[in-house]
Amino acid sequence: MSDVENLLRELAPQVLGAVVRRYGHFDLAEDAAQEAFLAAATQWPRDGLPENPRAWLITVASRRLTDLLRSEQSRRQREETVARQELPDGWLAPGADRGGAVRSDADDSLILLFLCCHPSLSPASQIALTLRAVGGLTTAEIGRAFLVPEATMTRRITRAKQTIKDRGGPLGPRFDMPPPAERVERLGAVLHVLYLIFNEGYASTAGPTLQRSDLAREAIRLARLVHLLLPDDSEVAGLLALMLLTDARRTARTDADGALVPMALQNRSLWDADQIAEGVALVTAALPRGAVGPYQVQAAIAALHDEALSAEATDWPQIVALYEVLLQISDNPVVALNHAVAVAMVFGPAAGLELLVALDGDERIAEDHRLHAVRGHLLEMAGDRSGARASYVAAAARTANSPQQRYLHDRVARLDS
Amino acid sequence: MKYMILLYASQQDYEAMQGKSPVKEAWTGEQLGAMAAFMEKFHQEIAESGELVDAHGLDAPVHTRRIQMRGGVPVVTDGPYSEAQEVLAGYTIVECPSFDRATELAARMSQCPPGPEGAEGLYTDVRPIIEGHEYVDV
Repeated sequence: MSDVENLLRELAPQVLGAVVRRYGHFDLAEDAAQEAFLAAATQWPRDGLPENPRAWLITVASRRLTDLLRSEQSRRQREETVARQELPDGWLAPGADRGGAVRSDADDSLILLFLCCHPSLSPASQIALTLRAVGGLTTAEIGRAFLVPEATMTRRITRAKQTIKDRGGPLGPRFDMPPPAERVERLGAVLHVLYLIFNEGYASTAGPTLQRSDLAREAIRLARLVHLLLPDDSEVAGLLALMLLTDARRTARTDADGALVPMALQNRSLWDADQIAEGVALVTAALPRGAVGPYQVQAAIAALHDEALSAEATDWPQIVALYEVLLQISDNPVVALNHAVAVAMVFGPAAGLELLVALDGDERIAEDHRLHAVRGHLLEMAGDRSGARASYVAAAARTANSPQQRYLHDRVARLDS
Repeated sequence: MKYMILLYASQQDYEAMQGKSPVKEAWTGEQLGAMAAFMEKFHQEIAESGELVDAHGLDAPVHTRRIQMRGGVPVVTDGPYSEAQEVLAGYTIVECPSFDRATELAARMSQCPPGPEGAEGLYTDVRPIIEGHEYVDV
């Protein structure tokens, strides 16, 4: 990424925050800010940076918003539609937690994240809007990252903004922190969106390349931002650690042909030692602080993998214990699947296979390629070649990701030879 | 960020408050007292919260002098408004973190107890004030 691009992405939430704060109209302001970024992306590399890039962007976005509002208001007058609506009750009572508090750019980024991850939106919309309004990505870039045509992505973002606007009453969403009672839940939604963006980048669900590392990098960047804003929140730290510890293995995860390399066979010297050190430090500092959440536990598991010199040297009993903690926090079939693998590493393949039986009846994962692939591995470990072969074939039929398909077919071919 | 909350009234409204409008019903002493008490309390609250920058009422519209260029010369008109025309009657400048907060303050101000004709249709505007340092030449 060029310096200008980096700068623009960093300024994106600040500029949008400043414009929405001053003028309201989140939906139009978001369009106006995008246009300002596009103007900067073409002008700055050619003409050099303005003296105050942030003020430049705010000025251009504010002017553009004025234009957009003018045309919206004159269209409304032509159509004689009434823009008048009742002001919500909350706007009339003296708000005890509001008032003259000084707010910063940092708060703006956080408020924007809360807005973009609004509970009335679907996860797909939350992701798209977050990448655009907070990440500063263009609609075309987001569409490419999710293998969706730009027009489709435009519609998704427009609809998402409309939903947020409608939910907010006549003036759109109020540009404010959610009330303290809602904040934990709303932060949970933000972290979940960042987690989904990371996963989409790390283990893409479709397409020819296994990893769309730009999305993973963007998720890490945004998680870093949230960690900077809320340094004392241990789940935020846990999520950032989890991303860093997982992404550290990126280079080793595919071979020269782009095929998937399972962790046990990865060349561990390719793992990113700096990222591992940062992730381990983050999760080590977070764990003793307050209640332990799922991201911290997952980060702790990732840290155990990353710190092991070989697959055999991995502290599997500790990993089994952590997956059991995780299973108590959330009923997630993928966690149960990973738990079964860890159990097989400690107590042998039969113990793992026994745990998989329960998952066959769980419709959330029964048709997932991962369940069949794991069964294939455990059967192969147990020496059941024909059973393993059938499971690998079943798994390959259930994934759209070409490197994963290739890896599974390769396992089948090895069993056949 | 600074915002101006603008209040409007006509010459007739000013006269009704003094009980000498030929067309509008006169305010009672209680109504005037309630309005004054409300405004004083509201402004005291936003002074305490640190949001009040400045607030003033303007004298009757009849005291307006308009200076206008005519043939390259400034010409003065005494009392340019008609009796019923609603013009700026007062303003409150607030400094607060967002347009939303300024709108909330204006909405609270609009709950001021009304005169004999009731509150229906009365309006208040709120507008952002341009602050030079926020903008740059592009």
